[in-house]
Amino acid sequence: MKHEAGIVEGRIARGLPRYEEEQVPVLDVRNLKVSYTSSGPQILKGINFSVDSSDFCAVIGPSGAGKSTLIRCVNRLVEPSEGEIVLFGQDVRALRGGELRRLRRRIGMIFQEFNLVNRMSVMDNVLSGRLGYTGPFRSFFKAFTREDIDRALHLLERVGLQDHVDKRADALSGGQRQRVGIARALMQKPEILLLDEPTSALDPKISRDVMGLIRELADEFKVPVLCNIHDVQLALETCNRIIGMQDGYKKFDGLAKGMQKRDLDEIYAMEVL
Amino acid sequence: MAVATVETAAEPRRSWSRYRHPSSTIRFAVILGILAFLGWSIAFLNIDLSRVLGAFPRLAEILATRYFPPDVGYVTDADFIHSVVRTLEMSLLGGFFGVACSIPLAWLAARNITISRRIAYPFGRLAIMCSRSIHETIWTILFVTVLGFGMLAGTLALTVFCIGFAGKLFSDELEAIDMGPVEAMRSVGAGPLQVFQYAVLPQVRVAFTGIAIYTWDVAFRAATVVGFFGGGGMGWYLKRTTQQLESTRVAAILLVIIGLVLLAELGSGWLRKRIARMR
Repeated sequence: MKHEAGIVEGRIARGLPRYEEEQVPVLDVRNLKVSYTSSGPQILKGINFSVDSSDFCAVIGPSGAGKSTLIRCVNRLVEPSEGEIVLFGQDVRALRGGELRRLRRRIGMIFQEFNLVNRMSVMDNVLSGRLGYTGPFRSFFKAFTREDIDRALHLLERVGLQDHVDKRADALSGGQRQRVGIARALMQKPEILLLDEPTSALDPKISRDVMGLIRELADEFKVPVLCNIHDVQLALETCNRIIGMQDGYKKFDGLAKGMQKRDLDEIYAMEVL
Repeated sequence: MAVATVETAAEPRRSWSRYRHPSSTIRFAVILGILAFLGWSIAFLNIDLSRVLGAFPRLAEILATRYFPPDVGYVTDADFIHSVVRTLEMSLLGGFFGVACSIPLAWLAARNITISRRIAYPFGRLAIMCSRSIHETIWTILFVTVLGFGMLAGTLALTVFCIGFAGKLFSDELEAIDMGPVEAMRSVGAGPLQVFQYAVLPQVRVAFTGIAIYTWDVAFRAATVVGFFGGGGMGWYLKRTTQQLESTRVAAILLVIIGLVLLAELGSGWLRKRIARMR
């Protein structure tokens, strides 16, 4: 489809040199600044980073560092005030209305509070991940295609919820709800996954299970992940790359393996008393 | 331990009071001001207590002598019963169209999910406010002058009334929803209508049903009066009999209205309770 230009075509259209697909970052963020009100404080103060197609990238940092804001800028749930975000070769900030919706449907997102519709069934919640690809007539009558339904059933089985298909979302436990959230995001056949504190509402054991599952599925579907996470230990265990943030600045960017204790101390400097 | 005691002794004495000078003083001043205004208004009205108290025995006397016994034959007449059915029809139609129109208007008028805060939001707000600000009897008079006497004018007046009534309650309900699912649906690339259907409507469906029934209940009460101003229904009989001073008939009609409104209220209350349990 025309609007789903590949990364290379996008780069050519933007006058950038043509690279091999592997070398082009999926997501490229340059000098990103955000303030929610024109007179209010700046939440992000000039962030640069990129995400490659093989990355499972964690954003860590103390509360209020701007992790959530950063993730939400990528699919424009939050409007950036300055800077450049290039995703799949498209300038995210330049997109309007339908263009933005077509970009969003290629981005899967998993939320801290799951953000399921409690009064809908698990199946409908998962199917709603396809809304971006479903026409108004079909979506009005909830007439999803056979293909979507099969995919939803397959994904529900994959996340271990095959016995809960027709239950209401609020009848499930926290861990199960997040699994529904994961299935919903994967319904989109996403080309990148954004995770906004996916485990903060869960207990430590289930957090590990859920992160492990996401890691496994991301590897299986070959989706790059940008994940903002509170639990440093869990981040180091599951992610291959770490971005450390503090008070709107990027303090660290490197491989999880190479991370030293003093790097962490610097990121969390304000919280150490 | 010794160190700790020395430290506490050295600390300045902390004091705390519920009364904080500027804010608490202002609060008390405002309350005092309101009470003073109420007292002044009562004094201004120059209410004669003995006259007010004396009105009740006189009211009882008039009811007993002029309005008793109610003319039951009049209200069991086929024409009158027909007008009661008409009233019921008007309230149902007005309630239905009112609710149908107020849902999209409430969507526009809900600040958190409105389509555009600059244009749609003020438009929705204004439409609901205009319907609310004018009383249903005035709407009836307006529509009767334009469309002539009859049920159409009454139904339209009730529709406008219901838009104002239900629209306000609907938009309040919409503003209280959890925005999480809305955000999730936006992030999968759903359009505004899809977001409304999949993320908003499931959250408010039960509350909307309750409000719709309540709206009908209130519309029915209003429908009994609409006829008084030419909008059709039983109100017309009320007007005729009061003007012709047929007090026993008025009494019978009033009793019927009280009975029906009571029934409608009980019925709607029962239904709403049943629906609230489906949450």
